[in-house]
Amino acid sequence: MSTNVMGIFEFEDEFIGALRRLKESGFDELTAMSPIPLHEADHILGFGKSPVRRFTLAGTIIGAAGGFAMAVATALTFILPTSGRPIITIPPYLIISYEMTILFGVLFTLLGFHVVSGLPAWRDRIYLPASNVDRFTLVVECVEGDNSKLAENIILESGAEEVSRVEGDR
Amino acid sequence: MADYIEPTYAEVNQDILRAMMETGPKYWATLGASITVAGVCFFIPWFYQLEVGVGASGMNRSAVWGTYLSNFIFWIGLSHSGTLLSAVLHITNSSWRKAIYRSAEAMTLFSLITAALFVMVHLGRVWFVHWTVPIPNQMDLWPNFRSPLMFDVMAITTYLTASSIFIYMGSVPDFAAVRDASNGLRRKLYTIFSFGWRGTAKEWHTLGWAYTFFAVLVIPLAVSVHSIVSWDFALSLVPGLHHTVFAPYFVTGAIFSGTAGIVTVMFLLRKYMNFERYIREIHLVNLGKLLVLLSLIWTYINIMEVFTTWFSGSSYELEALEWRLTGFYAPMYWEMILFCAVVPMLILFKRIRTSWKSMLTISILINIGMISERFIIVATSQPRKFLPNAFGFYFPSAIEISITIGSFAVFTTLFLIFVKWVPAVSLYEVKETLKPLRRSR
Repeated sequence: MSTNVMGIFEFEDEFIGALRRLKESGFDELTAMSPIPLHEADHILGFGKSPVRRFTLAGTIIGAAGGFAMAVATALTFILPTSGRPIITIPPYLIISYEMTILFGVLFTLLGFHVVSGLPAWRDRIYLPASNVDRFTLVVECVEGDNSKLAENIILESGAEEVSRVEGDR
Repeated sequence: MADYIEPTYAEVNQDILRAMMETGPKYWATLGASITVAGVCFFIPWFYQLEVGVGASGMNRSAVWGTYLSNFIFWIGLSHSGTLLSAVLHITNSSWRKAIYRSAEAMTLFSLITAALFVMVHLGRVWFVHWTVPIPNQMDLWPNFRSPLMFDVMAITTYLTASSIFIYMGSVPDFAAVRDASNGLRRKLYTIFSFGWRGTAKEWHTLGWAYTFFAVLVIPLAVSVHSIVSWDFALSLVPGLHHTVFAPYFVTGAIFSGTAGIVTVMFLLRKYMNFERYIREIHLVNLGKLLVLLSLIWTYINIMEVFTTWFSGSSYELEALEWRLTGFYAPMYWEMILFCAVVPMLILFKRIRTSWKSMLTISILINIGMISERFIIVATSQPRKFLPNAFGFYFPSAIEISITIGSFAVFTTLFLIFVKWVPAVSLYEVKETLKPLRRSR
């Protein structure tokens, strides 16, 4: 059965230090909460390039193709001859395509954010409101019994204000 | 600013959330006045016009475009303040942006809504507005995508959607802070708004990537929106409008007007929401420098517009230019030059650019100049095209003047509602600009 160990830090450098030591000690199930984005935490936890970018790319391609196709399909549905100009006029349709590229790029990026981050998540999860104000919080999932003692020690030695065992979804 | 004491993280939360959650009688009085003016000056005249027809405006056979469209350009222009500036400063990693961008983005959103309202007002039969949207309907009618007006519909819809998402996503961590600081119905609402945000490393990482993509997508979008608005005019053959310089002219004017708008809003937020610790002299000075640069570009384009018209040798263009520079609306033209080309140069003086009151005055004068610019473009071109038998005259009716005044109240109302629903200064981004919380400093 797993146990969650939670450590609360006042200082960012101590929090990062604890995160690094836990990772080096083989703890992989880590949740780090902070009031601001910390790029060092991203590196320690192994977050590289986000998959969000694939959603953006897919959105822009679909938008570009869809926008152009919509304009062409409209022109072919209602043939509207204007002087000797072609029915399918490329320059104005590129503008429609351009706008749709951006629209779908934005919408797919939004979708990507939700898919990758796992939000919305309105269920009860371990959370300390102070970590959205001025505290840095670490939650470690320890699978083995004596593992949790090791995690507690690392967190305390790193300078945590408080260490506790908590129940709930990480 | 030797006496400046940096706030702590907790104070940032307290100050900004207090400004949002505690509402005094002054706020309610201002909101009430704003709603009243919006109702009396904007909506009642608009409903009257819907009843009697567009003839209630001063538009006529030779001047089929009037104040409604010039106001539309003005509000679209003002919308370029926030999202574009915020996005550019985000990807260039300019930290001074962080205290001001939220309100600037809100300006974008509400300016766009006000601009869209002017399209409805101008449209006359507003109940047919859905005909401009490419949705299947019982008549199998689809819009003509070769028309610049359809470019406009696509561009503005995209801009409104992208700006809304941009401001919303940037606010999610702050919605979580509101959730944590409140209870009852407000807590329930902000739990939904914040998507259950906890500030985990994964959430920050994903938001950072998504936000950067939003910024990268929004910049070319904003440039395209005002270029497309300019093509509504420039793609016609009307002398005074058929100019290739119109797209950069409109985009520059838009950013210029929007930046001045930010200065005005910053002054009001600082004074009335007690954000002195967050909106500081550095913001004023940097925005001032930007205004000088934009004013110089705008002036250059104006000179080029006159030069190329003269150089073309076209009698129609020269007639339109002469009417603009010396005709009935010439005082307005020269007022525009004074307010947008001359007055901003005062910002070069340090005493001016570090004074909130002086900068407020200059920012308001710039936007008066920009309203005039848009009015002149519309009012001096169509009534003066080609042969004298097509000449006419346009002067706005009382209805149009009233709706113009009312639009400012519509914008103010929306903004006042916004500052009570969304933290007007970004909590987490302000914290990023403070000294890091490190034991080993």
